[in-house]
Amino acid sequence: MKAKNIGLVMKKDLKGLGHERTILLAILLQLFIALFSSFLMVGLTSMYDPSALSKYSTTHYHIGYSGNDSDLRDLLASDTSLRVYDMELAPALQSLKERKLAAVVYVPDTKPDAVDPVKITLYTIKNDLQAAVVDVKLKEQFVKYEGELRQVRAERIDEEPIPLDIPKSTGGSDFYEFVYGLLIPLLVIMPAIISSALVIDLITEEYQNNTLETLLSTPIRANEIFWGKVAAALVLVPLQAGIWLFLLMLNGITIVNAPQILAYVSIVAMLLILVASITALYYRERTAAQFVYSTAIVVLMLFSLALADNPMNLIAKLATGSAGTEQWLVLGLIIAVVMILSVLTNRYASKSMRINQAPR
Amino acid sequence: MGYSRDILTISKWEVKRSVGTMGKNVLPVALILILLLIVVTGFTAKSGLHLQDGIYKVGTNDPEIQLLFSGDARFSVDLADTGTIQRNQDFYDLVIFNRVVWVHDTDRGKAAAKTMERDYTKYRSNVYNQQSDLFAAYPLWIDVQYVKSELDFAATQSGQQISVRPRSNQLPTPTGPVEPVVLPEASIGISAEELRANLQQSSSQNSQISRYTDMFSGSGNALGTYKTPDQLSPPLPFDSIILVFLFIFPLYFMSQFYMMSIMNERVGRRGELLLSTPARPSAIILGKALPYFVGMVGISALLTLWIKASPLIVLPLIPVILFFLSVALLIGMISRSFKELSFISIFFSTIATSYLFFPSIFANIHVVSLISPLTLIVLTLQGTAITATDYLYSTSLFWLSAAVLFYVGVVNFREERLFSQSDLFAKTSDFIASTLSLKRPYLSLFLFNAFLIPFVFMVQLMLLVLFFNLPMPLSLILLLVGAAFVEEIAKSLGLYSLIRKAPSFFTWPVIVGASFVTALGFLFGEKLLLFVTLSQITESVFGSILFTSIGVLWMPFLLHFSCVLIVAAAIKKGGEIGYGIGLLAAVAVHCLYNMYLILGWFS
Repeated sequence: MKAKNIGLVMKKDLKGLGHERTILLAILLQLFIALFSSFLMVGLTSMYDPSALSKYSTTHYHIGYSGNDSDLRDLLASDTSLRVYDMELAPALQSLKERKLAAVVYVPDTKPDAVDPVKITLYTIKNDLQAAVVDVKLKEQFVKYEGELRQVRAERIDEEPIPLDIPKSTGGSDFYEFVYGLLIPLLVIMPAIISSALVIDLITEEYQNNTLETLLSTPIRANEIFWGKVAAALVLVPLQAGIWLFLLMLNGITIVNAPQILAYVSIVAMLLILVASITALYYRERTAAQFVYSTAIVVLMLFSLALADNPMNLIAKLATGSAGTEQWLVLGLIIAVVMILSVLTNRYASKSMRINQAPR
Repeated sequence: MGYSRDILTISKWEVKRSVGTMGKNVLPVALILILLLIVVTGFTAKSGLHLQDGIYKVGTNDPEIQLLFSGDARFSVDLADTGTIQRNQDFYDLVIFNRVVWVHDTDRGKAAAKTMERDYTKYRSNVYNQQSDLFAAYPLWIDVQYVKSELDFAATQSGQQISVRPRSNQLPTPTGPVEPVVLPEASIGISAEELRANLQQSSSQNSQISRYTDMFSGSGNALGTYKTPDQLSPPLPFDSIILVFLFIFPLYFMSQFYMMSIMNERVGRRGELLLSTPARPSAIILGKALPYFVGMVGISALLTLWIKASPLIVLPLIPVILFFLSVALLIGMISRSFKELSFISIFFSTIATSYLFFPSIFANIHVVSLISPLTLIVLTLQGTAITATDYLYSTSLFWLSAAVLFYVGVVNFREERLFSQSDLFAKTSDFIASTLSLKRPYLSLFLFNAFLIPFVFMVQLMLLVLFFNLPMPLSLILLLVGAAFVEEIAKSLGLYSLIRKAPSFFTWPVIVGASFVTALGFLFGEKLLLFVTLSQITESVFGSILFTSIGVLWMPFLLHFSCVLIVAAAIKKGGEIGYGIGLLAAVAVHCLYNMYLILGWFS
């Protein structure tokens, strides 16, 4: 095998990609998703976490309070973002329909220490952004009131849970887990999947367009063609994943250990590319190869996700900076698998690319 | 008669061909893989998804606390003596001494605290719902009643929050007639044991999987509207990811086969044989699509059976299936190579998935979510009834655009288009040009632009979903500029393709005439579709704008006309470069118009 010949084949395939300008689509796609995820973050945060929203608006929510006076009324009034109005239920509900109120609370005449529970009625508007925000605001006060009532009825409780004092989170985002535990691993692994699909195209195209014979009539040997194609697919992976990480960082998401993440993705990509190229060499036809490969990849991904310290988990841990020594162990393991698979694939490629070039 | 027989014959060929090529080699492997998939799914369901394991570090000197959080794999909890932990306190996100939690002041620390708070709430309810006196442990129940309000879609469309503020501290007084209401009962009306069962059910869903799949169980609100304060906040939406992939992934897969089948006709000019048969192109296209359509509907129906949902779920999927197939047809016809095919289809599927997926996140929260047919599925799964209006609203764009795309495919299903190797942009332009006739240029431009509207709406709705939650001035500006861009590009497509095809035909008078009909067609389609779909939801808002005065329509028409004219003139003068410049100028004019008229700036 000559590195020069491999380089030639790789250059040819990359040039083909560049010439078609389709790689532009991939970059556009990345931009689109990065854009989308950042907007999604802002949107979801403001929707589910009103404290984040209050940064943008100083809206006061108007609450109608109806029924019996209780400690809940004082609790609601103590929240500076709520403004409580004592009203009869009927006009309050009509005001709610006209959106002059954000919610209406009705409290019945039940004593705090009664046997029965206190059943309050909360009227809100369905399918509404504001209602969702108000719900969260009201929930805080409801939880406090529940605590008060529990205190009153404490003697009737047989077993108290272990107390634990967790400080009220200050600006901690629900989306930390979404971003680091789902978005980053998925986005970073995507280039690996795209590249492995690409290698199938690169190989089957030579068979289906009957161009393999021409290539083989040159001094370039069969396995050099093969590795050239693998290399072309592989170099795109750290490039694309790198752009991802860069875009995420532009969005203000801190990512530590970016080089390790890229190393991880590249080696996982190599594994996937090898599996994909074996499928392509075997079928010599795109539809079958892509179908079998994508089913196999689903099985593989699902299986690896079920294992502790799987690559996706390690990427999440690397990005948050909580990975320990186990990362090197797993990396070494994958490298070993890749090496063995490379030797086997090399043998298979040089044999199968020479004989009988009809699609199976 | 002969036509439908052609379709059936070609369907039979297609099935035979794909079974023939796939049969011997692929089927056994596919069977093994599917068996493996079932086994692995079972394994994963048992061991859980280990995606977020150990991202938070906790240190404590209390074995009871360690035990408490050992069930959540996101925490790796170290048990050590006080001194050791204090020395390494920077290593930990949370440190727990004497039942007090110390939070490390980083994003990760804060996120860990939030997760711990949630876990602790769950643990607490597990203790409380075992109490013999349930109403001592849960003294407060909330009956949530939803009130219907006339939704002001126009306001939310521009990204505003609807909130009418009463002046200062004045008591809000309703303007409408006050209907008498019955005061709610003080008693809860359901036995403590039933409530307990409900509480236990919702707190037992604590495993690793259910974090992702609470969707299917309807979040355990079996008792309808009664909730404890802890159950009040809206469910986190990430679960719908699972749902989308469950339904969309197989559809995407099957449409790939159709795409490949079309592409394969073009590899080595194999399709010449098919084209030489007396069957019409539309019969070939429909005949090839039929087996895949049947397969996709079948898979959706099976999935519905599997998750034991209402068969109504399949209805909103049908237009989605047709849309996927029509796009697959065009991608198969346009791509020059397999690589291009892969990239375009990945690109398309991501965009389509986001269009379907992101709105459905807001299923319980906002009416905008209805633009995605998947929202109908989410709602049906939750047991909310969907009306015919909802169905029309969220699927009409898919029906329309699928029809238009199939038409474009049929018109271009000819030798010179299928076997040409020109690049993506040139080919797209050729495809568009084929749908326009030079014999009746004005009529075809009018129709073309009217039929373009579903796509423009799709893109604009996508922009709306993107922007509607940003802080106010920003969201509005982005929406205005984005919408202007989309509209100007859309309007220029037909004219550009036609001028490119026959430059000499377009003298100055013809350019003016063509711009006129383009603007007219665009406006016509826009108003018609708005009337059919959006006005259903808004009831009066759009309807009144449409029909009260024709005068209102003059302004947008003038805008569309002048913008198209700018672009057309620029193309005639400057060719490709002129096109770009003209487009930018038109967008600028469009934005200024919107700012002046809609926002009332500069006045």
